[in-house]
Amino acid sequence: MNNLKEGFRYGLISYGIILYLNLLGIPLNFGDIVLTIFSLLIGLLSFAFLRKRPNHLRKNLRNTLVQGLIIGLVSGLGLSIVTYIFASLQKDGINVAQVFAQVKPEHTGALTGLTKEEVLGDVSVLPGLLQLTLLFTFAGFIGSALTQLPVEKLRKQFDSKSGLKTISRALFVLPFFFYGLFMLLKVEGVQIAGTEENNLGMLFIFLFIGAALFALRAVEPGRQKSILVILLVVLMLLLPHFADLKQNAILGVVGIFIVMGIGLNIVVGYAGLLDLGYVAFFAVGAYAYALLSSPESYVVLNLPGFEGVNFWAGLPIAIIIGAFAGFLLGVPVLRMRGDYLAIVTLGFGEIARLLVLNLRDYTGGPGGVINIPAPILFGMDLGNPRDILYIAMAFGLIVTFFTVRLRDSRLGRAWIAMREDEDVAQAMGINLVAIKLLAFASGAAIAGMAGALYATRQVNIFPDNFALDVSINVLSLIIIGGIGSLEGVVLGAIVLIGLPEILRTVDEYRIVAFGALLVTMMIVRPEGILPSTRRKRTLHVHEDSESTSTK
Amino acid sequence: MALLEINDIHTYYGNIHALKGISMTVEEGEIVTLIGANGAGKTTTLRSISGLIKPRRGKIVLDGEDIKKYAAQELVYKGIVMVPEGRGIFSKMTVGENLDMGAYSRKDKDGILKDLGWVYELFPRLKEREKQIAGTLSGGEQQMLATARALMANPRVLLMDEPSMGLAPVLVEAIFDTIVQVNKEGTTILLVEQNATMALSIANRGYVLQTGEIVLSDTAVNLQKNEMVQKAYLGIE
Repeated sequence: MNNLKEGFRYGLISYGIILYLNLLGIPLNFGDIVLTIFSLLIGLLSFAFLRKRPNHLRKNLRNTLVQGLIIGLVSGLGLSIVTYIFASLQKDGINVAQVFAQVKPEHTGALTGLTKEEVLGDVSVLPGLLQLTLLFTFAGFIGSALTQLPVEKLRKQFDSKSGLKTISRALFVLPFFFYGLFMLLKVEGVQIAGTEENNLGMLFIFLFIGAALFALRAVEPGRQKSILVILLVVLMLLLPHFADLKQNAILGVVGIFIVMGIGLNIVVGYAGLLDLGYVAFFAVGAYAYALLSSPESYVVLNLPGFEGVNFWAGLPIAIIIGAFAGFLLGVPVLRMRGDYLAIVTLGFGEIARLLVLNLRDYTGGPGGVINIPAPILFGMDLGNPRDILYIAMAFGLIVTFFTVRLRDSRLGRAWIAMREDEDVAQAMGINLVAIKLLAFASGAAIAGMAGALYATRQVNIFPDNFALDVSINVLSLIIIGGIGSLEGVVLGAIVLIGLPEILRTVDEYRIVAFGALLVTMMIVRPEGILPSTRRKRTLHVHEDSESTSTK
Repeated sequence: MALLEINDIHTYYGNIHALKGISMTVEEGEIVTLIGANGAGKTTTLRSISGLIKPRRGKIVLDGEDIKKYAAQELVYKGIVMVPEGRGIFSKMTVGENLDMGAYSRKDKDGILKDLGWVYELFPRLKEREKQIAGTLSGGEQQMLATARALMANPRVLLMDEPSMGLAPVLVEAIFDTIVQVNKEGTTILLVEQNATMALSIANRGYVLQTGEIVLSDTAVNLQKNEMVQKAYLGIE
């Protein structure tokens, strides 16, 4: 009896969530696939609820399955009742949309598999609702059945070295598989799942990169790894040639964010200084190059005889000015820690944007800087998305090399010590002032580099390109990927910057999905998808100590 | 000439006059202890010496050089190394990495390696746990680690702040045994302790601190016999 009550409660919670999404208008926007989405959600919820219960309950198969059924049944029946009421009202000619803006006849139709005319006409919605209820019940059942999988065991195996070995073979093949799928789409006349746009190809590219990262992590160092690295690098270098214009453009943005993520990773991941105004340095780099190069900029117009620098001369200047800006921010916040630091840097980010917005005479104000020249190398114009992507890849490699060297240096160790305990670090002989400034400056230099590339890519830049959400995006991507981990940055950029580009069609839900993803990540895997070994170790300290004490 | 000479230092926390003219000396190779009740200014004295807080007046002289002008991190290079109160280890690093950080101020690779062997000999427990996360060590082991890490900086004067704090009596004894051993191998030690019985039992000389002033200074043996010390700090009526 107690069982039923618990399942009923979970069912009501699931129903609440579904009802909320329903009233938000998910069915209206997704049309026919709404039932699939809702069913998946029910399955997921059922899985999430039932997995968290104490072990002896979870191990009880009958109990768990019954609860799963109840969860699905309750939410299915609940939604059916509401939909039935709405359908009846609509049939009577009452406009429900006046109260619930999204509940239109099409909405009801999507849930029941009918057209708008059928809903308003004589066709009964009951068969559709029966189907909906059955689907949900089934989904709840599947979700509960999934709890019986030894997830923890699999996860441990996945994280452990020996476990990795057994699955590394599969991982070895996976990136090549996705690359193959991507290339298959290039063949004339081939279509997968009837998609016409190249979003699917984009998805395969992302899957290829993601799988490659996992494969690289799984394979033991040695000859096998070297071969894998070479193969993957070659495929990566060929990628821009096969990808189309739009795909290259998206990958270019992802690349720029990867460069920025690696830079912020130094500040937040290594030195532990929470910087919410990182966009400021991005803006500084972008405007530095823009003002020095665009024929319409204040600098070029007012300096007689100065015709603007080319990209390769502007780049180091943007990097140096970026580093200097980082240094400038560093000085006033030297004595601040944690929350205070976050607030001050947040302000700094906004100040940078407002400055370029309001220094109208110099920066062009809201009109921005236009006609920023493309990079030119040996007489070739590299302004097209494909070449920008190549430059972004080169930048990514350079900053990766740079940060890896920094991380393993004396300075890197000093940063990590400071992140843990400033006072004790000082007692070890570490000059906190110097290493904090160095952290800010090197992070900012990399952001300046990314900014210059962004400016030349965009051709025209405006203050709005440098709003707070850039800082938040960069910070989120390193958190999702795994703070302190460089592969994590790449994966985070793909998930947070790349995937939303594919999902343009469902634009309104990007932010919702984004928030949900962050919350879920923090609960399920706080160390990020591909954590650095140090981070993983400290977040699972208790599990580790148990295993060492039993040795 | 004494290795470390503290001459009439006055330290303030804002308007609070915490140290009211402290003078003391530490000779090369000695264990000197500073005992006193809570709030007497023991930790403040150590923090003043190690540069974490600057005295407003007075002189701190190491080997003939006034070191008051140096910042805390620079003093480590001068050979003044502190074992912080409450252990203060890097709890998310491994034992090995902690020791590595201890040698941050040094560049002589051979010397560092030699000292690493030496501290592992002093504390075999740490050797066993080289790869373990420091935060998972027991209290006694953490104190050992903090001491070992300070030794890795190759100090001329080791400042120890309450090494017995929060430890079981058995462990306190072990810690004090190692302090004696470290001292025998040539490291000068300035030890701040509330546990006066233990501190005086291993020290050569001692100072008694009361509300920011030194009220008594003598050899450890004499202090143990002193009536006032017995009453106030040793619990002997």
